[in-house]
Amino acid sequence: MLSVNGLCKSFGTHKVLDGVNLTLNPGEVVSVLGASGSGKSTLIRCINGLEKFEAGAITVDGFDVAKPKELAEARRRSATVFQQFNLYPHMTAVENIALAPVEVLKRPKAEVIAEARALLDRVGLAHRADAYPAQLSGGQRQRVGICRALAMQPRYLLLDEVTSALDPEMTAEVLDILKVLATTGTTMLFVTHEIAFARSISHRIVFLEKGELIADMPTADFFSERGRSLPRVAQFLSKLQGEAL
Amino acid sequence: MGFDLSILAKHVPFLLEGLWLTTVVCLGALAGSIVLGIVVAACRTAASPLARRLSAIYVDVFRNIPFIVQLFFFYFGLPEVGIYIEAAPTGIIALSIAGGAYTSDVIRAGILAIEPGILEAAEVSGLTRRKIFTKVILPIALRTSIRPLGAVCVNLVLTSSVLSTITLNELTGSAKIVAAETFRPFEVYAALLVAYACLTYAVSGLFGAVHRHVNRHTAGEVA
Repeated sequence: MLSVNGLCKSFGTHKVLDGVNLTLNPGEVVSVLGASGSGKSTLIRCINGLEKFEAGAITVDGFDVAKPKELAEARRRSATVFQQFNLYPHMTAVENIALAPVEVLKRPKAEVIAEARALLDRVGLAHRADAYPAQLSGGQRQRVGICRALAMQPRYLLLDEVTSALDPEMTAEVLDILKVLATTGTTMLFVTHEIAFARSISHRIVFLEKGELIADMPTADFFSERGRSLPRVAQFLSKLQGEAL
Repeated sequence: MGFDLSILAKHVPFLLEGLWLTTVVCLGALAGSIVLGIVVAACRTAASPLARRLSAIYVDVFRNIPFIVQLFFFYFGLPEVGIYIEAAPTGIIALSIAGGAYTSDVIRAGILAIEPGILEAAEVSGLTRRKIFTKVILPIALRTSIRPLGAVCVNLVLTSSVLSTITLNELTGSAKIVAAETFRPFEVYAALLVAYACLTYAVSGLFGAVHRHVNRHTAGEVA
């Protein structure tokens, strides 16, 4: 179980996260919605140890992210996919994917490479396995980014606005893959602006507003009267009525 | 007495020996200053304040002392305290140390130019600091550093002429000897001018070619 308890995080005097509680159970897909600047990405960056926080606790299968000695174990259980892909520019797609399994998990290189190629095949990129990031489109880069995360066989997949830097067509490429992952039991914490998609794959929706988690409910409830009974959620959803929800 | 290059003909083998020595010394100093530059750049971007402080002092000190003074200290000063090193190794060591101050700056700039997100991806994947440096930071930084390292190397070639002052008969030292023997300094030094220009031009071209080769897959991202 991944659990966040009373998490508080400020940048200077600006409170970005204010007493956030959240649990993610194995097999669950939880989407984090909210306006830009509501603290969604910061939440993920606290979970994977990229940001230190002032108060509260985050544990990943019991390992405390705030304790330097446990952070490595906590990180080994999760993997992050980034908005800006963040691929290693000097490595091919396969090398990007194989680096951490070889260097961190100390697995045999040949086996890891074969697995990396199989992963690329699953996302429709078998033919681009030996291409460098600069030679790939945005959607292709993000699919490699997803493979790189999956290659670590994480128990929790953290997705930080993974389609925000992509055009609609490339977004669809990436969402198709996430859909398959969601239906095959991958545990995901999905920070996104893709509301309709979040609705279609998530078990639960949580809603952040100015650093406070103001809703955490099953997807069906969030998009029904129960969610709309919260004024801020109703307002947020009303702006999206143009989109097919 | 007109301009007559033919008087140099019988001295060409001797001058080529000098050129060879210049080449060897510069290659040695290039290797030395790159290794030193990597270590110092790592220290300058390290988490430890002490490592950052000491490495910054090294860079400041060696960039602010004339090379000839550093050289005299190593060659004429150190024997006084019992450390005697021959001229050629002294030249390579002195050039490496002086050049290292510049290469470390170049490599440090290459490190600082790496997108933070790339390092974050490496960090959350669980790679150790050492692995992040050797597998991600250094390969990226060296790729972006090749062109400016070429400029440092050109400077090494030019500066190596100073080694003639410690009895090292590299290209300039050999030319001095030939000029003294032939009493034709005009021709000798004219040839030397051309030789250095060709040498540094070749070095620039070589570094340009290496830059294009290693960055062929990242064209557009690495200018």
